[in-house]
Amino acid sequence: MARIQLENVTKKFGKVTALDGISLDIKDKEFFVLFGPAGAGKTTILNCIAGIQLPEEGVVKFDGEIVNLVDAAHRDTAMVFENYALYPQMTVYDNMASPLRSKLYKKDEDYIKNKIHEVAAMMKMENLLERLPSQLSNGQKQRVAMGRALVRSPRVYLMDEPLAHLDAKLRNAMRTELKEIQANFGTTSIYVTHDFMEAMSLGDRIAIINEGKVVQLGTGDAIYYMPCNEFVAQLMGDPEINLISGTLAKSGDSCTFTMDAGGKVYDLPKEKDLFAKLDELGASKVDLGMRPQNLTYSFEPKEGYIKCTVYSYESIGNKSVIVAELSGLQLRMIAPNGLKVKIDQDVYVDMQLDHAMFFDAETKNYLTRYNEAAIKAFAEKQEG
Amino acid sequence: MNTASKRLGRIVQNGLLVIYAIFALFPLIWMLILSVKSDAEIYTTTFIFSPTLDNYRIVLFESDYVRYMIDSLIVSGGAVIVSVIAGVPAAYALARYNFKKKEDIAFQILSFKFAPEILVVLPLFMIFQKLHIYDSYFGLIWVYQLISMPLLIWVVRGYFEDISVEIEYAAQVDGYNWYQIFFKNLIPLIKPGLVSAALLAFIFAWNSFTFPLMLAGTKIQPITVAITKFLGTDSAHYGQLAVAATVSALPAIIFALCIQKHLVRGLSFGAVKG
Repeated sequence: MARIQLENVTKKFGKVTALDGISLDIKDKEFFVLFGPAGAGKTTILNCIAGIQLPEEGVVKFDGEIVNLVDAAHRDTAMVFENYALYPQMTVYDNMASPLRSKLYKKDEDYIKNKIHEVAAMMKMENLLERLPSQLSNGQKQRVAMGRALVRSPRVYLMDEPLAHLDAKLRNAMRTELKEIQANFGTTSIYVTHDFMEAMSLGDRIAIINEGKVVQLGTGDAIYYMPCNEFVAQLMGDPEINLISGTLAKSGDSCTFTMDAGGKVYDLPKEKDLFAKLDELGASKVDLGMRPQNLTYSFEPKEGYIKCTVYSYESIGNKSVIVAELSGLQLRMIAPNGLKVKIDQDVYVDMQLDHAMFFDAETKNYLTRYNEAAIKAFAEKQEG
Repeated sequence: MNTASKRLGRIVQNGLLVIYAIFALFPLIWMLILSVKSDAEIYTTTFIFSPTLDNYRIVLFESDYVRYMIDSLIVSGGAVIVSVIAGVPAAYALARYNFKKKEDIAFQILSFKFAPEILVVLPLFMIFQKLHIYDSYFGLIWVYQLISMPLLIWVVRGYFEDISVEIEYAAQVDGYNWYQIFFKNLIPLIKPGLVSAALLAFIFAWNSFTFPLMLAGTKIQPITVAITKFLGTDSAHYGQLAVAATVSALPAIIFALCIQKHLVRGLSFGAVKG
């Protein structure tokens, strides 16, 4: 149970800068998610907090106390490693008992036995306790690695993609379970993932990491609705956001958007604050960000709809994704299941422009969006 | 047709293996036969002779043979123990830490094995005279490091490299210090490699001839040097020589049989990355 702070942490491996001035303030009892693409430096952040790696610059604080010179054993953390890092010569039981048998965190054998059986029951792996790690599947190994961390009550749980190798059903169950455990124990948890769903559902707050820097920090909803740039917008959301480049033009008190692909002109729905902001920023070349659920489609020609061709149609269980193509621009849309769609057939697409986000076409940074004030207020309320 | 050619292939295969087995084993068998022949029958090439244990009696009870065996055990065993104590940490450092000229140092260690022993033994002889370690256990154990240390370091280094570094991290986070991690987690994992490398080092040290011949030989006589005593200037006691050779091969064989389990697993464990 601890507040974890990183101040201006920089970590270099030879000439490669893995972390570039990371500053984070993780509140006590918070479930904090580090989210980003592979190689962004998420694991290195965890390693710096655990004390496995020492940052070249900056300080790591636990409850306001600088721990840079405290070694990994004495920091009182529990970590789940991405590649499991189980001890191959020990049985699952002994692996899980290992942290409770060390001198520092010594517990008696009765306590260890009860604790392990309790955790094993939660992880649904009581039948695996006598096995060696080499006799386990990857998903089972991952559960053992989780179990080894969960038997302890450390100041902070550090989890490096702990659910990545589980099958879908177990992953969903474990996700719920994790959230529950964390809420019950109230232990600060830092969770690394590259799965958007996990990030959104688990994290009290999410930090988007890219190229060793914190790109954006906030609640899942805040980041989803107001991504700070196109990179974050693309990262958050599945299917990916549609980015439509075009030109803004002002005529009187209304505003038009001319799409680059196809050249269709849209009248933007009136919103005073938005128009004022766009005016103030002097935006003309912009990328319009449209979430897939905000595109509508029709297979019959319709007033105001643009004609595209179907590029692909994927069913993903409870819904399906239609990708339409319009002179090189691909548009992703959500559709119900069970449609009969042929590749290359015509499809007519319209946009619900009152959900649009605006990005600068050159800097790729966020400019504004519809309902910005309401969303901001909501996000602030969420953060508490 | 197909089965016939398969059968033929198998016959050829096994035939070749039998020929090789005879080729490899015949000297050993001949040595065993010699050791139970009397001097009078020693040159007969037929397998008809009256077996005798006289040679064994003479070698084992009427000469200093046992003392030579003990000398050999002390220097070879001592050499392996020193190699393990110094070589395992060295292998760990070479596998885990990054320091300048790391690969050069590793190669340098291996290069001790490049030069033929006879090439370096003369300068070594002079150094040993100056340091007054000629003909001592210490001197021989020291010089045997040229034989056993490179082998041990290179084999064990490979094993350390195969262990994912996260296992050490995990143990640190679990609350163990470096020594506990090293002895509790790493040594069990490298044990197969350590055992097989130590065995090979022991055999090489045991069989070493040039070094003990030149750098020892009066007070301390390992078995390889002592055997030559049975070749007199006027007469060669081949029977006794065969006994001496047979018995001197025993420790390595016994040693290998005892740890065979580790040996077989050891040689495959390092190769296949889990």
